[in-house]
Amino acid sequence: MEFKLEAHRIVSISLGKIYNSRVQRGGIKLHKNLLVSLVLRSARQVYLSDPCPGLYLAGPAGSPAVPPPQPGEPAAGPPAGWGEPPPPAAGAAWPEIEPQPERPADPAAPRAGDAEPGAPMTGAGETVRGGEVEAAEAAWRRVEGPCEAAEGGAGGPAGGSDGFPEGLREARRHCGCPPGAADRPGPLGACPRVDCCCAPRPAEDEPPAPPAVGPRKRGAAGVGGGPAPGSSPLKKPRRNSEEQSGGAAEEEEEEMETGNVANLISIFGSSFSGLLRKSPGGGREEGEGEESGPEAAEPGQICCDKPVLRDINPWSTAIVAF
Amino acid sequence: MGEDTDTRKINHSFLRDHSYVTEADIISTVEFNHTGELLATGDKGGRVVIFQREPESKNAAHSQGEYDVYSTFQSHEPEFDYLKSLEIEEKINKIKWLPQQNAAHSLLSTNDKTIKLWKITERDKRPEGYNLKDEEGKLKDLSTVTSLQVPVLKPMDLMVEVSPRRVFANGHTYHINSISVNSDCETYMSADDLRINLWHLAITDRSFNIVDIKPANMEDLTEVITASEFHPHHCNLFVYSSSKGSLRLCDMRAAALCDKHSKLFEEPEDPSNRSFFSEIISSVSDVKFSHSGRYMLTRDYLTVKVWDLNMEARPIETYQVHDYLRSKLCSLYENDCIFDKFECAWNGSDSVIMTGAYNNFFRMFDRNTKRDVTLEASRESSKPRAVLKPRRVCVGGKRRRDDISVDSLDFTKKILHTAWHPAENIIAIAATNNLYIFQDKVNSEMH
Repeated sequence: MEFKLEAHRIVSISLGKIYNSRVQRGGIKLHKNLLVSLVLRSARQVYLSDPCPGLYLAGPAGSPAVPPPQPGEPAAGPPAGWGEPPPPAAGAAWPEIEPQPERPADPAAPRAGDAEPGAPMTGAGETVRGGEVEAAEAAWRRVEGPCEAAEGGAGGPAGGSDGFPEGLREARRHCGCPPGAADRPGPLGACPRVDCCCAPRPAEDEPPAPPAVGPRKRGAAGVGGGPAPGSSPLKKPRRNSEEQSGGAAEEEEEEMETGNVANLISIFGSSFSGLLRKSPGGGREEGEGEESGPEAAEPGQICCDKPVLRDINPWSTAIVAF
Repeated sequence: MGEDTDTRKINHSFLRDHSYVTEADIISTVEFNHTGELLATGDKGGRVVIFQREPESKNAAHSQGEYDVYSTFQSHEPEFDYLKSLEIEEKINKIKWLPQQNAAHSLLSTNDKTIKLWKITERDKRPEGYNLKDEEGKLKDLSTVTSLQVPVLKPMDLMVEVSPRRVFANGHTYHINSISVNSDCETYMSADDLRINLWHLAITDRSFNIVDIKPANMEDLTEVITASEFHPHHCNLFVYSSSKGSLRLCDMRAAALCDKHSKLFEEPEDPSNRSFFSEIISSVSDVKFSHSGRYMLTRDYLTVKVWDLNMEARPIETYQVHDYLRSKLCSLYENDCIFDKFECAWNGSDSVIMTGAYNNFFRMFDRNTKRDVTLEASRESSKPRAVLKPRRVCVGGKRRRDDISVDSLDFTKKILHTAWHPAENIIAIAATNNLYIFQDKVNSEMH
């Protein structure tokens, strides 16, 4: 648990540093920002591999029930997540993810709503992980999409401006499991879905994929290198945890940001929702467009044309806007 | 949110010190020339101050040469890159002396973007007895000139003149972090975060790119170049260090573009020491060849390591500089101290290595006896002729009287730049805006 809080704190600090670096004299220092982004990545990894994913900082009324301890993997959780070096494959993995097929904007409504409450931190997560997060997010969302639809849009995003509690509630049930599953008698709980996050499924299970979202799943699977990309990151903290955890990251970070980073939200406000409603295909283009915009607007960032900063530009658009 | 807290913190730390330090006076580099007669310092305000060692006075037995100011000049000015809307800091990142080839001294100084070659000459005579001009320089009335004389050189007060002879501009997109003069005395290299360029000292309008680690897609960026140096004897060899803690030795004879290293020096990470900040603390901040050319010295955040050029798998020696900080990495990350780039230095005989730390402490490690010492550079403890007292940092447990506890270390007082005289036991320590020069006259053990 302490790991999680620590990681959260470090993520906040890192983001602050990246932001501050924009106003430093002499231009953005590439080396320092690269190191900060590596810390950000490590912190995020640890955060996600912590065996207490149920850290709901502003949990819904009711139990802050921690999902039942999941055998095997979580024990390896922090140490594995902690101990592994940031996957060098991540760098290599990114190009893989980049050209992935366009994600249909299908459950766009519920999904967009999904994104919104969690907007800022998701954005932050995305800024770090760029396309990779989008890929994982795509896979993740695809998993939850149908389920949520079935649920009648549990936490149906009413424009997202309800704020965080709704996002949280939603996040908690991102897997689409009925709320009743909260009590989860056992590891499997009542969750019907094979690869739902409530259940410690081995990652090898391919989530049943509605054909409509086939391409996306393929892409994600390709990225993840096989095992269910949409499954809980806890399953495989080591291998391709970036891709897999990306999806969960959205959920986790929705929680994170509701906590200490809420002030960020208050600063950036609703501008974020637009940025982060990056429905797959459109989102990417939107992102690119935004990047070229801020690149022109931002004092020449050629020096800092690097992962974090490139992806933070859309975020910075909001900052600049203010 | 605190967007300004970082800058505010920096300013406040000086005020807290009760002695306000102008940021422009902070020394940013220190370098002895090849004989040790001259010592150059650069500061954040773009100025270079050169000290010269006074010749030993025969009279006073103890008065071995002391260093006095020889020349001061403004090397770089703040600039504005209009194309990128970026301000270019005038801070002098590195100074390197050229080997002396005539009566003049030359040095290279660089800021983030531009390298300049300065020539330092002395004038101690002036001609007198012109035929056409009088003493003040006014033209004489020719009718008064009855005879011709040959002007003679008369001694005058020493005047040191500094002039920029070359400006090597527009060679780098990213921030220059190091320069190194080749042993061939004709070329030098400059390294920024992603590229290394080779220049000829006489040619300013072009340079050769010899290393380029910029990925095609910047999203794939995982490491940057942090320091580089030419081999002291082999003009074809150079080394560069990376933010991942690896060293690459390159041979310019192998290819025009030395992206493929000849040797890769890397130590596998110790998994038990893993933390969020493992990458940051493994980033090499400085690399120096030994005078012999056989070894390399690297500094990362917590250690200095000696590498043998013949062994790539791991360093042959590792010294802990301030391991007590390992548990404080998170706080050091918060206050940005974890990004401090400490330099390291060899002594003339490659038997002792030195590096700086916090609280104005600096450390020396004797490679032969395996003894190490922590010394402090401060006004209070540095009266002239005083002997520096070894300091100790205690980490809990038994504490002696003069020990400093880890929590009372002053992290705003950091010694990033140190230099060792090439032949003698004289060291120059830059402590923020003060330069300390220590001479070891008595102790010959450290040879």
